[in-house]
Amino acid sequence: MGSSLYYSGQQTDYRKKRVSLRQIVIFIVLALGSILFLLPLWWMIATSLKSMQEIAQYPPTFIPQTFHIDNYIRTWVAAPFTQYTLNTLLLSFFAVTGNVIVNSFVAYGFARIRFRGKKVWFSILLATMMIPGFVTLIPQYVMFSKLHLVGTYYPLIIPQFLGSAFYIFMLRQFYLSIPRELSEAAKIDGASHFYTWLRVIIPLSKPALATIAILSFNGAWNDFLGPLLYVNDESLYTLQIGLQSFRGSVQTQWNYLMAGSVLVLLPVIVLFFVFQRYFIEGMNLTAGTKG
Amino acid sequence: MKAMIGQKRPKISKLARQEERQGYLFILPWLIGLFGITLFPMLFSLYASFTNYDVTSRMDFIGLDNYRRMFTDDPLFWRSLSNTLYYVVWMVPLTTIGSILLALLLNEKVVGMRFFRTIYYLPAVLSGVGVYFLWMQLLSPTSGLINTLLSWIGISGPAWLSDPMWTKPAIIMMKMWAVGGGMLLYLASLQGVPAQLYEAAKLDGASVFRRFWHITLPMISPVIFFDVITSFIGGFQVFQEGYVMTENGSGGSMNSLLFYNLHMWHKAFTVFDMGYAMGMAWVLFAIVLVLTLINMKLSKRWVYYEGEDQ
Amino acid sequence: MHYKFSIRMIWIIPMILLLLLTACTPRSDSSEPRADGKVEIDFWTFWGSETRRPIIEKIINDFNASQDRIIVKHTYLPFGDIWTKNLAAVAAGNPADVIINDYANVNLRASKNQNTNLTPYLQKDNIADTFYPELWENVLYNNEAYALPFNTDTRMLYYNKTAFKEAGLDPNDPPQTWAELEEYAKKLDKKSGQTYEQVGFYPLWGDFGVDSWLMNGDNGNGYFDANDQTTINTPGKAATLKWLLSWQDRLGRQTVDAMKAEFGNGQSDAFISGKVAMYIQTGTYNTQLEEFGKDMDFGVAPIPERESGSGHWSTGGGFVVEIPRGAKHPAEAWEFMKYLTGVDAQKYWAMENFDNVANIEAAKDKEANQNPVYKASVQNLESTKLFPIPLSAPDYKNLINPHMDAVFLGQETPEQALAAAQQDIQSLMAQNK
Repeated sequence: MGSSLYYSGQQTDYRKKRVSLRQIVIFIVLALGSILFLLPLWWMIATSLKSMQEIAQYPPTFIPQTFHIDNYIRTWVAAPFTQYTLNTLLLSFFAVTGNVIVNSFVAYGFARIRFRGKKVWFSILLATMMIPGFVTLIPQYVMFSKLHLVGTYYPLIIPQFLGSAFYIFMLRQFYLSIPRELSEAAKIDGASHFYTWLRVIIPLSKPALATIAILSFNGAWNDFLGPLLYVNDESLYTLQIGLQSFRGSVQTQWNYLMAGSVLVLLPVIVLFFVFQRYFIEGMNLTAGTKG
Repeated sequence: MKAMIGQKRPKISKLARQEERQGYLFILPWLIGLFGITLFPMLFSLYASFTNYDVTSRMDFIGLDNYRRMFTDDPLFWRSLSNTLYYVVWMVPLTTIGSILLALLLNEKVVGMRFFRTIYYLPAVLSGVGVYFLWMQLLSPTSGLINTLLSWIGISGPAWLSDPMWTKPAIIMMKMWAVGGGMLLYLASLQGVPAQLYEAAKLDGASVFRRFWHITLPMISPVIFFDVITSFIGGFQVFQEGYVMTENGSGGSMNSLLFYNLHMWHKAFTVFDMGYAMGMAWVLFAIVLVLTLINMKLSKRWVYYEGEDQ
Repeated sequence: MHYKFSIRMIWIIPMILLLLLTACTPRSDSSEPRADGKVEIDFWTFWGSETRRPIIEKIINDFNASQDRIIVKHTYLPFGDIWTKNLAAVAAGNPADVIINDYANVNLRASKNQNTNLTPYLQKDNIADTFYPELWENVLYNNEAYALPFNTDTRMLYYNKTAFKEAGLDPNDPPQTWAELEEYAKKLDKKSGQTYEQVGFYPLWGDFGVDSWLMNGDNGNGYFDANDQTTINTPGKAATLKWLLSWQDRLGRQTVDAMKAEFGNGQSDAFISGKVAMYIQTGTYNTQLEEFGKDMDFGVAPIPERESGSGHWSTGGGFVVEIPRGAKHPAEAWEFMKYLTGVDAQKYWAMENFDNVANIEAAKDKEANQNPVYKASVQNLESTKLFPIPLSAPDYKNLINPHMDAVFLGQETPEQALAAAQQDIQSLMAQNK
C-alpha cells in the first residue's frame, strides 16, 4: 500500500495529485460496506473461539466470554488435517494448471479460428452446462468404476485437463473482446495459431486467466462430493470431508467446525492476494503491445 | 475426426482447410472430454428418463410416462418449478447489477484497495454447510443481525425463514452477499477496456455516466452476457440453500424452498425414482435451453465484440 | 526468448504426468486376498466425531482380535452423503461389505435390490429374538430380514426442576396428561411486558414434530395402519391438531416463529439456556445436558398422554446394519454384524454413549441402567413406535407437511388440512400401485 491515497491509473486523472472528494466518498462507502461483508465472517471466528457451553447459551454472545484459542489446535488434531491439506493442495494444483492451460487453449479455438461446425460445437458446449449434475452422477461413477479408477484421484484430476464448459465460455468472451488487429498482425508475420495464442492472447488475458486460477482453485479446494464419491481410503480424504466429521447425526461441534472453516479459508485469502497483482497489470500490457 | 467435420466441399481453399484443422486441434481436449466423459452419462440419463430406472433393480422402457406424471400427477413439480422461477427472476438481475456496481467501485484507485477486494470477495469462497447455518443465525427474527440492523431504521423485520412469503427473498439476499465471484469477472474485464477510449471521451467532455454508458458498458458486454447466461443456468440449478436451510431438506414452510433440483434430488436419492428425476432434468434442460436461445438472440442487440470474426 | 518459453511449456506436460502417476496409484481393493490369508471387509459408518469414533473403533478392534479369519476396515463417511455414495457403489457393483443405514427405509431398499436378504444366515443363527420386536418388524420386507437393528432412540419430556420449584410445582411430579401439561406450562411461563423470559412449554419445539403428536393423540396410530391404509383424517388427529393450534394461540405466532428460528439452527439450546422449562428430546440429549448444561437440575418423564389411559406414546428412530447388494464377502460381513449386534458390543455402545441399543439383553444390562436417564429411556422404549415408510408412498412427507404448515399459518382448518392431506396421499398411492 502506498502512502498517497491513490495510484495513477487509467480511470483517474493522474495529473491531479490530491485526494479528490470522489475518492473519499468511495472509500467511505467501501469501508461501511465491508463491515456488512465482514460481520458473518466475524460470527464464524467468534464461534470458533467459544466453548460449546457458551454456544448453547441464549442469547448468543457477539464477543466470546472466554477465548479458546486451543479450539484451533484441537480441531487440527481431531482428524489428520495435515494429510488432508496436502491431499487437497495436490488436487487444487492439478485443477489450476489444467484449467488455466486447457481452457484458454480451447477457448482460443472457439473465439479466434474459423472452422465449420464451430457454432454447433459451441452450442453443445453450452448445453452440457444445462443438465444438473445429480443425474449424471451415478452413470459417471459407474463409468469410472468400469475403468477401475474408483479409489484413486484420477476421476478428480483427468476432467480438469479436458476443459470446463464454464471456463471455456468465459474465456471465449474475453478473447472476443480483444481487438482483432492485435492477432492479425502476428498472423501476417507468419505466426501459427499456437504462437498467437501463446505470445499474444495469453499475455493479454492475464486478468482473465488469474480469475480462472482463483475460481478453479476454490472449486477444487471446496469440492466435497467429488472426493467423497471417488476416494475410498481415509488417507486420501480432503479438507472438506474432514470438516464434516464435526457434524454428527445428533450433535455438531460448532466451535471446531468454525475453527476448521477459518483455517481452510486462510490459503484462499493468501492466494487471492497473490493473484490480484494480475488485475492491475493486465491493462499495462495491452497498452504496451498497442504502443 | 475427419468424419465429424463431414461433407467436404470442393470449393474450400487449402488455407481454409488448414485453418479448419487447426480449429479442431484447439478444441480437441474439450472434444475428448465430451466424448470420453460427458456425453455417455448425458445420453444415458436421456434414455433412462423413458424408463422406470431405479438405479439398482430395474430399467424398463415406459415411454413418456415419467413426463406425463410430471405434468399431470405431481403437484410438487409445479410448485418447485414456480419456486425456482421466482428465484431466478430476482436473483439474476440483482446479482448481475450488484456485481457490476461492486466491480466499478473496486476498480477505483483508493487506499487499501487490495484489502477491500479481498473482503468483498471472501463471502464467495466461504462454502460448506457452516455458512448456511451462519445465515440461519443472522436471519433469526429477534436476535438475528439482519433484523437488528433493520430495527435501527425502524423496520420490524419478518420471520425470514419460517414465513413462506419471506423465505425466498432471504435466500436471494444471501446470494447477494456472495456477489464477489461475479465481481471478479467484471474486475478482470474492466482491465481490458483501453484507457485511450476514456481519455478521448474525456477530452470530448463526456460525463462519468456517459463514459460508463458508451464505453464501459459496451466493452464489458461480452462478460455481462456470459454472467447472465451462466447465472441463468446456475439459478435454475439452485439446490444447497433449500436442502441445508430447511428441516431435513424438506423444502421449508409450505414447501416455499422446495426448488426444482431439491424435488428432483428427493425423487432420485430418497425414493430412488431415478428415471423420473432424469426426466425432470431433461425438462429443465429444455426450459433453460429455450431461455438461453432467446437470450442469445437478444444479445445480438447489445453485446459488442471488439474482436469478432463475423 | 519466445522459443524458450514454449520449451518450458512443453516440460510441464510430462511433469504433470509424472506427478499423476506417483500421486495417485490405485490402491488395492478389499476383494484381493491379503498376504496373511485373512479376509478384509469394508465397514462404512458416519461415526467420525471425537466422541463416537473411538467407541466404534474399539468394538471393531475387539472383533478383529476375537478371531483370526476376518479383518474389519472402518471407513468414515459424512452423515447423509454416506448413502449417496452407497447407492452409486451398489449401482457400480463395488460397495462396502457392511454399512450403517437408516432404519426407516430398509423395506424400500430391499424392494430395490440394494441390500442383501439375511434369511440364509438367520436360518443358521437365529438371533431375531434378541432384538426388540418393534425394531425387528422394521427390518422385514415380505417377512424376510434385510438388516439387523443396531441402535434406536426414544423421545421423552425433560423438565427443569429448578424452574418447577420456583413456580411452586413438585419437581418429582412431572405432568402426566395433556391437561396437566397445560396447567404446568401456564404456571411456568415467565413474562416481562410482552416478551417471554421463560416459556413453560411449546409442543413443537424440541424433537417431537406434528406427526409425532398426531400419533400420540390418536392412541398410537400413525398416518398409516399395518396394511398401509391411510389413517390421516381421523377424529383423534383432528382433535390433536386443534390442541396443538391452541398452544400457538396462547403464545402468539410471532413468539413461536421467533423461538423456532432462534433455536432451530442447533447452536443455542432453548432448554439449556432456560428459555423453556419443559422440552421433548431423545435419550442421548442427556449427555449434552451433562456436558453443556452447567449442573442443571433436570428430570425426565414419559411424553404426557391425551387423557389418562390413552398411552404415553413416543416416536423412535435409529440405525441398522446391512450388507449392500453386491458385497464381496457377505458371509464374513454376517459374522461381523452378529458381533456388532451381540450383547458385548451393544452393551459397550450403550455404556459409552447412553444411546439406546437394539439388543434387549444389552439394553437392560444393570451396569448401564445405573444412569437414571438412560434407565428411563429404556423403559420408554415400551411405548415407543417406529414407522416404516409405506412403499407406495415413500415421499409422503412432502405432501403432508405443507398442509400442516397451512394450519399453523391460519390458511387451513385442522379438518380441511387432514382431509386434503389424506386425499393427496391416497392419490399418490393410487399412482404408485
